[in-house]
Amino acid sequence: MEFLKSGIKTVLGSTEPGQQPSAAETVEKLVDRVYSSTLLEDRRDACRALKALSRKYRIEVGAQGMPPLVQVLQNDGQDAEIISYALDTLCNIVTSEEFDEEADNPAVSVNVGEQFTEMFIKSPEHVTLVMGYLDEYDFRVRRGAIQLITSLIANKTRELQELVLVSPMGVSKLMDLLTDSREVIRNDVLLLLIELTKGNSNIQKIVAFENAFDRLFDIVREEGCSDGGIVVEDCLILLLNLLKNNSSNQQFFKEGSYIQRLAPMFLLNNSNSNSDADDSAWTPQKVSNFHCLLQVVRALVTPSNQQQVVTACQRVMQKSQLLQALCDILMSSGVPADILTETINAVAEVVRGDRENQDELSRVQAPSQPPRPAIVVLLMSMINEKQLLALRCAVLYCFECYLYRNSDGQRAVVQTLLPSSATDVSSLSTGQLLCTGLFSTDTLANWFAAVALMHTLVENVAQKEELLRVLLATPGGQRPITLLEQCTNLMQQERYRLQSKVGLLMLLSVWLAHCPSAVKALLETQGTMAYLTAQLCANEHDEREYLVQGMCAFLMGLCIQFNDNSLPTQRREDISQLIIKRIGQETFCNKLSEVSRHEAYSRACKQAQIRAKGASELLLDYEYCKLYKGLEALIAKLVSGFDVDGIELTELTLSSEASALVAQYKGIIRGMDAQIQTLEQSSKQLEQQNVELKEQLSQEQSLKAQLADQNTLLKAQLAAQPTAATAATTTTATATAAPEHPAEVVNEEQLNAARYQANMYFAENIRMTKELETLRQQLAAEKQRADAANESLLATQKDQEDLLELLADQEAKLARYESPTNAANDTNSR
Amino acid sequence: MSYAYLFKYIIIGDTGVGKSCLLLQFTDKRFQPVHDLTIGVEFGARMITIDGKQIKLQIWDTAGQEAFRSITRSYYRGAAGALLVYDITRRETFNHLTTWLEDARQHSNSNMVIMLIGNKSDLDSRREVKKEEGEAFAREHGLVFMETSARTAANVEEAFINTAKEIYEKIQEGVFDINNEANGIKIGQQATPTNPALPGAGGAGGAVNSGCC
Repeated sequence: MEFLKSGIKTVLGSTEPGQQPSAAETVEKLVDRVYSSTLLEDRRDACRALKALSRKYRIEVGAQGMPPLVQVLQNDGQDAEIISYALDTLCNIVTSEEFDEEADNPAVSVNVGEQFTEMFIKSPEHVTLVMGYLDEYDFRVRRGAIQLITSLIANKTRELQELVLVSPMGVSKLMDLLTDSREVIRNDVLLLLIELTKGNSNIQKIVAFENAFDRLFDIVREEGCSDGGIVVEDCLILLLNLLKNNSSNQQFFKEGSYIQRLAPMFLLNNSNSNSDADDSAWTPQKVSNFHCLLQVVRALVTPSNQQQVVTACQRVMQKSQLLQALCDILMSSGVPADILTETINAVAEVVRGDRENQDELSRVQAPSQPPRPAIVVLLMSMINEKQLLALRCAVLYCFECYLYRNSDGQRAVVQTLLPSSATDVSSLSTGQLLCTGLFSTDTLANWFAAVALMHTLVENVAQKEELLRVLLATPGGQRPITLLEQCTNLMQQERYRLQSKVGLLMLLSVWLAHCPSAVKALLETQGTMAYLTAQLCANEHDEREYLVQGMCAFLMGLCIQFNDNSLPTQRREDISQLIIKRIGQETFCNKLSEVSRHEAYSRACKQAQIRAKGASELLLDYEYCKLYKGLEALIAKLVSGFDVDGIELTELTLSSEASALVAQYKGIIRGMDAQIQTLEQSSKQLEQQNVELKEQLSQEQSLKAQLADQNTLLKAQLAAQPTAATAATTTTATATAAPEHPAEVVNEEQLNAARYQANMYFAENIRMTKELETLRQQLAAEKQRADAANESLLATQKDQEDLLELLADQEAKLARYESPTNAANDTNSR
Repeated sequence: MSYAYLFKYIIIGDTGVGKSCLLLQFTDKRFQPVHDLTIGVEFGARMITIDGKQIKLQIWDTAGQEAFRSITRSYYRGAAGALLVYDITRRETFNHLTTWLEDARQHSNSNMVIMLIGNKSDLDSRREVKKEEGEAFAREHGLVFMETSARTAANVEEAFINTAKEIYEKIQEGVFDINNEANGIKIGQQATPTNPALPGAGGAGGAVNSGCC
């Protein structure tokens, strides 16, 4: 300090003793000197003095010094020293950092640096001027410029980002500095780039385009990867900035095979794990580095990213054995809790929705005695109340991600609960652990287990039905009760606390949704509906109670929505009536909306990951909120759609579009009704006609049978007749020969004629029988056709009439034939 | 996937000429008829084979709008190849080529290969720029020219691959300094051990088909 004071004295000339000039006066003199001195050395000394004062008297230097310092930057570019003083002074003025020297100065407010930044960047050319000095190779100048720009960006990020973007090759120039052989410069540029890339995807993309990934990986490797110092952490933070929410860079990262370069960094050095250095290996810096590394992995596969990027990255992470390395960390000892937590979160997101990765996780075995699946070991920590909250949350998230779009995984968990599964009694199963959690006295364990179990049912109706079959043994050897029954019992118990109830209500809601048999099972349990109704009628004034009421309302709504009316006293209408009479539709809808009004709802909706600062924040789950969001409006409409008499006033609750559609369908249905009626009538008529026709047919058939009988009779008669006739001739020959010869001749002739006729009739008769046969066939065909239509009936009738006529004809002919034969016989006998 | 070389490309040209569609057709082999404005820059990649060597193309698709021009300029320097695209059904996109070319020449390294692309060749009925005009412009400015259709995929492969061939030839001739990654070229593990950029080592480089590892 003495040296500085003497320095100031030489610059300003010695002041009169006893009269200390104020800081403002000193600064004023110095500023004047910078402005007006013709000698470079004088200006340089003044700048040096300003720099020295700028830490303690920031306001004075900043208020007066900015224009002359800018002037120096504009005019004295050839002198590196004065430029470095000017840059350093400006940096001291605008920095948001508070100096020790100014700690007791009440005039220095928190945002004084920000205000000076604003003043400085008011002229964009100032920034361009400073950026120009980045090209200067001189160490002091380059570093000063880098630090000044870093401070400016830190204070006014958005404005500076725009200025850098429009300045020609601005970002590219900054990126070039990353290859500066002087480590200090390189490290300072890293800090600058971290600030510059915050929340600006265009800058992030340009930085990535300028080979940032290669540069950063090179530096990380040079510095010793995760065992390296803070520079490694800086590199990883910058990497994270470049990748977070930037799908273009994520794709570039994946396509550039950088995941493969990331993977080996997760390999823990196992040779050291047994040595004494085991614990000390996790230095605070290594923990920070590792934390950043895990963040980088998650930035690539976080569920909010583009689906195709996530899937592609997940594939590469499996192939490059990054997933395996992460699982190894999970199962190794001595890993600090927060690293373990973040590793579980990372594993969760790497496997989420990817079947191969999920399968790989399910195959991981913990090195315990006996070996257990990693998932079982993780769930054990989840329901263990001694574990850290963050770790338990991470395990639940990991379990959820493992089950996400993994119906086989869901089935496997549910299977462990079913009596049929022959599981080894000694080994713990996932299902057993979840039940243990559900019935534990630890409220958080209840909540975790309920949510975990809920995720075995998400979008999987088959498992919802399977889980209904789960039976629990009761103490005292009474009949076993179902899991669903036990859940409803627990829910109604006073000692079961609110958080646990919230968990159970979520489990039950997801269980009932889209599963009528679960609804039926719930409605059959003792007192559940009464309990829900009582909850909704209660007039509690606790915010958290409101949430439970809303969830109860939602559960009741599901009982209506997915009710298949198979229980005669618990149909949709019956439950609606219960709501109308005991709760009131308005109240019901109000309570229903309590869920979405609760802060836990908006918190849970944000992301799939479970985030909680405290245990009490754990209330709603992401998947439950998704279900609620989809069905809330539907249930509200459904319930307000019933009137007091239980008639569903659906049209009132429908939108105009929907009601138009309904009207349209109604019209169609009406038309169809009319059609059905006419069809029924015509079918009746046809049936009647059919009966009539059958009657007629049987009549005809009997008639024909008679005719056939007559025919055979006739045939027999005809066969008998010729013998009788010859006998008559021989016997009568002698008698007739003498007395009446001509008469005999006539008689002979008549007999011949009669014989001839008889033969003819015989032939005729055969023909007729044939005809009859064909007619019979025709009739059979007719019978078939008669059933079909009226026309065929008429035709048949006509045919039959013809037939009748023919028959009559035949009869007449037969009669005619019979009489001459008889006559002949008579004459013969005579 | 290992590669012998990695080339960085950029696609430039007026808004709506089909830059993003060309990239999509090249990387995903599909066409998206709805114009979706590119904000800033989008990234795509694909592997091709030239002279028996695997070459990875990393392509940055820039925004054509004037507002993003300063961002686009940041990409010229690090690119080995550029596809300068105009729309054959819109005369003004052809007229702006000079501006684009000036911009590119000013900010890029002098060896950057520029391919001129007349896109939308499937819309021949609405054509405003004759193929001969494109050819003439390319001849005048020393560019390679091609008409393409991102819709029918006609010439799309060729456009990207011919540009790569051109770059590859320049490497063989030793024009590019392939050790300077700022030129948009990176050597992979698969490349020939001899540095073709060194005098004497080039020339017959095309015949050397090193087995990939």
